[in-house]
Amino acid sequence: MKPTDSTDIYRDRHYRLWFTLGCYGLLAATVILLTVFIYLPVAWAFTKSLYQFEIGGDSQFVGLGNYREFFNDPTLWPSFGHMLFLTSFAVCVRLSMPLIVAKLIHSVRHEKWRYFYRILFLVPIVVPGVAVQLIWQGLIYADKGLLNEALMALGRGNWTHGWLSNPSTALISCAFVGFPWIGGFEVLIYYAGLSGIPDSVNEAALLEGCVGIRKFFKIDIPMVLSQLKLILMLTIIGGVQGFEGMLILTKGGPGFETTVPGLWMYYNAFSFQRMGYACAIGVLLFVLIFGLTVLNFKYFKSSEEIQAIQ
Amino acid sequence: MNARKIFKFVSLIVILAVGTWLLWPPSDEGETAGAAAAEAPGGPRAGVKYTIRFSPGNSYLPGMTPDGIGSPLKGLADVVADYEKLHPDTHIELVTAPVGVREYLVTQLISGMAPEIINVNVEDVWQDIQKNWYVKFNKLLDSPNPYVKPGEPGSVRWWDQIKYPGISRGTAAPDRNYYCICYDMVETGIYYNKNIFRKVGVEEPKDFEDFMRICQKIKDYTNEKGEHPYTPILLGQWTMADWCLDLFFDQFYAQITPGIDLSAGQDPERELYLKHYLDWDEISFLRKKGFFGKKDPRWREVFKVMYRFRQMANRNLTTIDPIREFVTQSGAMYWAASPFTYHLMVDKKLGFDWGIFYMPAFTQATSKYADGHPMCVIGGPGTQYEITNSAISDTGNPETSERLKRVGDFLYFLMAPQNYIKVVNETPRYLTNIIGVPVQPPLQPFDDFLKRDYSSSKWMFTFDLKFSETLLRMLDLYLNDGITLDEFIWWIETSLEQACQNIELRKPPDWAELQRSWDSKAPARAKMKDLPDEAYR
Amino acid sequence: MKKKHWYIHLVIIFFSTLTLTPFAFVINNSMRNNTEFYHKFFGLPEALGVLINAGAATFTNPAAIFETVDENDEPIVVEAREAVHYAWMRLTKSYRQSWTLIRPYMLNSILVCLVTATGVLLLGSISAYILSRYRFFGSKAIFFFIISTMMFPGVLTLVPAYLLVKSLHLLNSYWVLVLPYVAGGQVFAIFVFKSFFDGLPEDLFESARIDGAGHMQLYWNIVLPLSKPVMSVVLVMNVIGTWNNFLWPFITNTDAKYHVIASGLYVLATSVHAQNMSTLFAAYMIASIPLLIMFTYATKPFIQGVTSGAFKA
Repeated sequence: MKPTDSTDIYRDRHYRLWFTLGCYGLLAATVILLTVFIYLPVAWAFTKSLYQFEIGGDSQFVGLGNYREFFNDPTLWPSFGHMLFLTSFAVCVRLSMPLIVAKLIHSVRHEKWRYFYRILFLVPIVVPGVAVQLIWQGLIYADKGLLNEALMALGRGNWTHGWLSNPSTALISCAFVGFPWIGGFEVLIYYAGLSGIPDSVNEAALLEGCVGIRKFFKIDIPMVLSQLKLILMLTIIGGVQGFEGMLILTKGGPGFETTVPGLWMYYNAFSFQRMGYACAIGVLLFVLIFGLTVLNFKYFKSSEEIQAIQ
Repeated sequence: MNARKIFKFVSLIVILAVGTWLLWPPSDEGETAGAAAAEAPGGPRAGVKYTIRFSPGNSYLPGMTPDGIGSPLKGLADVVADYEKLHPDTHIELVTAPVGVREYLVTQLISGMAPEIINVNVEDVWQDIQKNWYVKFNKLLDSPNPYVKPGEPGSVRWWDQIKYPGISRGTAAPDRNYYCICYDMVETGIYYNKNIFRKVGVEEPKDFEDFMRICQKIKDYTNEKGEHPYTPILLGQWTMADWCLDLFFDQFYAQITPGIDLSAGQDPERELYLKHYLDWDEISFLRKKGFFGKKDPRWREVFKVMYRFRQMANRNLTTIDPIREFVTQSGAMYWAASPFTYHLMVDKKLGFDWGIFYMPAFTQATSKYADGHPMCVIGGPGTQYEITNSAISDTGNPETSERLKRVGDFLYFLMAPQNYIKVVNETPRYLTNIIGVPVQPPLQPFDDFLKRDYSSSKWMFTFDLKFSETLLRMLDLYLNDGITLDEFIWWIETSLEQACQNIELRKPPDWAELQRSWDSKAPARAKMKDLPDEAYR
Repeated sequence: MKKKHWYIHLVIIFFSTLTLTPFAFVINNSMRNNTEFYHKFFGLPEALGVLINAGAATFTNPAAIFETVDENDEPIVVEAREAVHYAWMRLTKSYRQSWTLIRPYMLNSILVCLVTATGVLLLGSISAYILSRYRFFGSKAIFFFIISTMMFPGVLTLVPAYLLVKSLHLLNSYWVLVLPYVAGGQVFAIFVFKSFFDGLPEDLFESARIDGAGHMQLYWNIVLPLSKPVMSVVLVMNVIGTWNNFLWPFITNTDAKYHVIASGLYVLATSVHAQNMSTLFAAYMIASIPLLIMFTYATKPFIQGVTSGAFKA
């Protein structure tokens, strides 16, 4: 059914050449930007990880010296443990809590109320992330902050803690930032997933008497699987490389008890002026994320297959 | 449905219009509070040849309300206006900068975008002197201040104007050059709540043991409800790592200085004020001889006493909000710097009397290494102004730069007594460092503290930032029972050795000279007890 | 059935209370000065009490005398009408103060967000369209080249990217934000757009081609109108990302002129202004307004976009 004139055009070699060049031209901006701002820095990171240098000073080739230093760095390895803890915690809560809330909102009858609740849970996203961290650090976890004052008011003075400064509570307190973890766009994504379930499926479920909790597990969760996977991926990647929150919350303290690898890299780069070592840590993190991506890729495929079989 | 859509559209347009109107930069920025901080980059007045950006720092930024109470500051704005009147070709732009954020400093200086005059702790400058980011003050300090009347101090040499030349000379970098002017002085003291002291029945302590007894009494004090309402003393993470460490260190090491002060007598002018001061090369050498590590009993003792002291303090050293605890009378004492005086003076809800004393000396009862000499000075320069590479952006050479001349001229103007008094004495927070400008009466106790001997070390500032960071964090962790004393000593030993290696790579010390001096002090050391084994060989 | 409904509302309200309490606290304390905050943690603004009392008095007893304080804490004795004025000034003091401080930051942020979003939408949709609808030599390789950048973690490139923009003399400018943001943001956009375009039926394009539509017209008249929901997804995600990005602007644009809202807030919180908590709190609140406006308008298309398969890759 292809119109003849266009087929002719596609057959014309001259036209094809110009067409391909035109495509290249339109893609040029994209490719150039990526080359300059992503590929070049990546290449630079790999090279510079073999040097010892500071900004404004001279650089010196040290071979694998920076990588060897990993083994003598008493801060680096524990920081991976902290990262692992925080990431797995984040995965658990970000997959469950927002989904529950999205389901609750979705099961409200009136559209007006649903709209209202959606907006209500959007409040935490509209507050800049930095401000949220600063609020938790300065107002909630502070020694005389919301949490401790509330405990005092409830007569539980002995439960009060220096949440972020006590070595035994600092890490878990960091994980609890954002409690109950339902602000944010996860709710929206899950909500969209739930409203994307075709009516026929819902009606079939109703007919078979599959309602309430059972429906949630049997129908809803499998139907929002792709949303869950998206959030899972984003949370893991964010957990491995994210450290801005820690920088604001605790600066990795007390001691180095809440330091994550990214933060340690940042400190080496911008505070201690050890750019080469920082790049080496960056390469280490890249290897980790690369591994996770490969794993994820495999997992991805298999889950799609499962869906296909179903 | 249609009406709703129209409403949505109209409201969006209204919001956008209002937003644009609000965000539109006003053509004429009034003297609103804080506006100076966010001063628009807008066009300077006609005929302006030099625009000098000046980051006056925490203490004097016009429009700021110190401690959030009372009226906003304006002293500096007046002085700047006077200067601009005097030199119509110069525009002084007051800018704000984050405090103690090194990333800020480094990126600004690398890109040559830093304000011409900035306010940083000069110890942070020492790290970077080899990078030509800062301009030396030596020539400025040795030249007359043109804004001082003939015959008055400063009319021959700027140095002569300085009230505390000793402490000011202590800001010389390791290369013995000056990179800052000490604009004012600050000293610490222990503020105490007289009402609580009366209630508990204690008085200002005479020595450290007495101090600990007082603290214990306050800690044990029980009110009618059966609670212990008071925290004896409020301390922060920095207080411990910076002030407390240097003070306690001096208490234990001052008596063995004849055996370890390797640079004694080398620089007479500096020696006058900085007697016994241990420089980085000396510390580096002494570390190799076993000092400041697990084999040095005095070193352990310093941290043991700190631990004991810390037990009297608030639960958290990092997230503490000591001002709040002190003004709400849940903390009986607060180790703070002089600006806190102002806060106490303006807080109308305070409702208690307060006083100030200095950290009392150790005695034999505290430790066998103590000799009872008074605690040394720990404060010093409060605000320090540095001139950055931006000031020589015209020629790139400090010798020929006209711009730099103007920047220097402005600093002279700022330090002339008639202007200085308007800025520093606008509120009683910092001590004057200029002869002829009186100390504000509420700050008199601090002025007296400053007359003590200068401290013999500055642990937080002698080595690279990695060492300071590790010391700060690990000390906090040790004091909060996160690690044991042995673990802590190991951390510091390791980081200190790394820091020494780094600094030696950059600037090798004169090992032979140090060794010679070390050998010559062997007889003195032979008489001392409990030094590391190496010290006796 | 009715009973169950009531129960769901209750649970949602419980959750939202937990989520929103901190923000309510921030709003409350943005209207109290340090002394009030220090001396009484759980308290309403004193000025609010004065405002209500004096406000009531203006109707019942306008000549009543109020002993109160002005916004600088200086004691004053005034009549009801003026007391209302002073109380109002005290309540809004922090907002006025922080407004002057963060207005330039807001302006920068909005500017950067707009330019970045435009760039990302334009580059992303065009590139995705080409890669999705046309076959030409190297198209697969280019797509792979683009998509594999998703694997490089931001932390790896942080240091070298900083060195790069430094050597390009881009530090302290808008370019240093916009260019890398567009470079990084378009990858996600291309990914989302391409999977959406791949799912468009070929018939649509065929019939348009029969009518004689060129490549440009196909893109403009067919693809763009259809991809509105997907666009809004990309837009929202991009704006959130740009708005909240803190570290990059913080280290590259240290000149106060170029601070964006995130870095500006952090600088405020670590600078002398932090002594004045109400100013900070007010700044947080003001900084939230633009996104709030965006979301009230973009939520619906965003949800449509997500359901229409933006993330179904």
